[in-house]
Amino acid sequence: MNELLRQFRDFFVSLKLTVALLALGIVLIFWATLAQTDLGVWGVQQKFFHSFFVLERIPGTEIPFPLFPGGYFIGGLLFINLIAAHIYRFRYSWRKTGIWLTHLGLMILLVGELLSGIWQQDFQMNFKEGETRNYSESFRDNELAIIDEGDPKVDAVVAIPEAILARGEAVQHPKLPFRVVPRLYFPNAELQQPGAVPNAPPSIATQGPPFLRTLVPQAQPLTSKEDERNLPAAYVELVGPDGSLGTWLVSAEIPVPQHFTDRTGHPWKIILRIARHYEPYALTLLKVTNDIFPGSDIPKNFASRVRLQSEDGREAREVVIYMNNPLRYRGLTYYQYQMDKASGTSVLQVVRNPSWRLPYLACVLMAGGLLFQFGLHLFGFARRRVAGPQPVRP
Amino acid sequence: MKSGSMAVRRLSIALLALPVLIAGCRRAEVTAYSVPKEKDPELPAARADATAPEAPAADTGAGTMAGTAVPTAEGPGLAWTVPAGWKAKAGLAVRKGTYAVPGEGGAEAELTITAFPGEMGGELANVNRWRGQVQLPPLADLAGAVLREEENGLQMAIADCASGQGDKPRRIIGVIIPFNGGTWFFKLEGLDALVEGEKPVFLEFLKTVHPAQP
Repeated sequence: MNELLRQFRDFFVSLKLTVALLALGIVLIFWATLAQTDLGVWGVQQKFFHSFFVLERIPGTEIPFPLFPGGYFIGGLLFINLIAAHIYRFRYSWRKTGIWLTHLGLMILLVGELLSGIWQQDFQMNFKEGETRNYSESFRDNELAIIDEGDPKVDAVVAIPEAILARGEAVQHPKLPFRVVPRLYFPNAELQQPGAVPNAPPSIATQGPPFLRTLVPQAQPLTSKEDERNLPAAYVELVGPDGSLGTWLVSAEIPVPQHFTDRTGHPWKIILRIARHYEPYALTLLKVTNDIFPGSDIPKNFASRVRLQSEDGREAREVVIYMNNPLRYRGLTYYQYQMDKASGTSVLQVVRNPSWRLPYLACVLMAGGLLFQFGLHLFGFARRRVAGPQPVRP
Repeated sequence: MKSGSMAVRRLSIALLALPVLIAGCRRAEVTAYSVPKEKDPELPAARADATAPEAPAADTGAGTMAGTAVPTAEGPGLAWTVPAGWKAKAGLAVRKGTYAVPGEGGAEAELTITAFPGEMGGELANVNRWRGQVQLPPLADLAGAVLREEENGLQMAIADCASGQGDKPRRIIGVIIPFNGGTWFFKLEGLDALVEGEKPVFLEFLKTVHPAQP
């Protein structure tokens, strides 16, 4: 092995690297905990942990620069460090089985966190007693939904993610007889009269209710706080084979669709809404229970009794969802999230995480490994004590 | 040893490339699907009242000086003058105005002003929504249930909803104003006695609502 490769290997195998990475991890977690006050949990996860570097903008500019290693960087290097150490430094013997199991658990934990960061999706289902939902809504993402109203029984939906609007990409979808062309996009905006927005360009909307055509989006600062959400807005032009159908102002601030017809008189509606995820089954909220300990405001029991009904009729049962007792069904987990007894409203958090079992597996392996290793030492110690003091060699 | 170093190199490259490859699988894509026909939401204002995550707080009006009635910031399309004592609050972005109406003993009613395109389900649906919020049964028609006024060229339908039920009965005075292809809702809500006492002030306030100057 040449010198360069040896140095490369020694760097990744080094115990000093492990200690340095653990120290960086401690600083990162402490910093992120403080930053949670301003950014909220989701913002902190994205900035500090689901990133290779913690980026900050150069003061006075929009140029980002890496200020500190992020979670993926530290976790990734730790992972490589651990594997390299096992290849080059550790030698297996049965007496070290516990250490190997513990390290294997740690590796699975690191991989699990990486996969969760990449794959996990969170939604919420918000309904009142008696209401039925066959979809959940995103916490943060929005979509432009263009809905074919031609069928009296079925809505045919084409959903365009907000990210495509943000990129300004035109969309030509086989289910649409026109092209969807984003003209202007605002990630967070409030609709205002042009007179209330200094230097506001005039509205370019030519379709939609007169009320909306008088308004212009005023850009607002982006937020990532838990109890706030961005309200995007956009001007969207629909262009058919015979030319433009017009430009609509769509905004997540307006939670009702705008109806229109194409040149053949076919009815459509368009809305910028919270992104939805439909499922082939529905939940009906039957009853909410919100008990508190007598004489206090401390919650004792939050529970939602729901009826689960699949589209094919094969599944029809009642389920009670309460704290630490979620409903797991077809890859989704429904947790009790929020509740308002006064209005009979329950909000379920809906999580899709294909790698949710990995942390459990990792914890079992680590616990087993530690038990084995400490047990081995304990039994050895006990055996020596029973055998009595050993003669001291001169 | 040589094969070991090669293994480390390959493993390192593979591991570093893994997140990029997996992340690439989550690129946003257009989706198409069919769902059973859904009704348009009729109760947009209720969304602002629900427990859903809030919109970024936008200061919807300048703070009023104590004891002085001052014109507020313009809402889109309509403007108004707030009575002395009402305080502007930071509200949801879907609201055009939010005001705290103080009462005795720290009690507080709230005036919310919202606007949406179209008829928003019509007067009957909205009045019945307010009635439902104070435990009143729905009405079959609005005959006699709504006071109609015209102020500054605006047609106002005023519904006073109070059931008097419960330990702390609540009252809603809701006003529906069609304007410029949209519908404006002025909703005063709070404890029955407080809202009833504030009703004359609220009706005077409605006389100040007028189309904003472009």
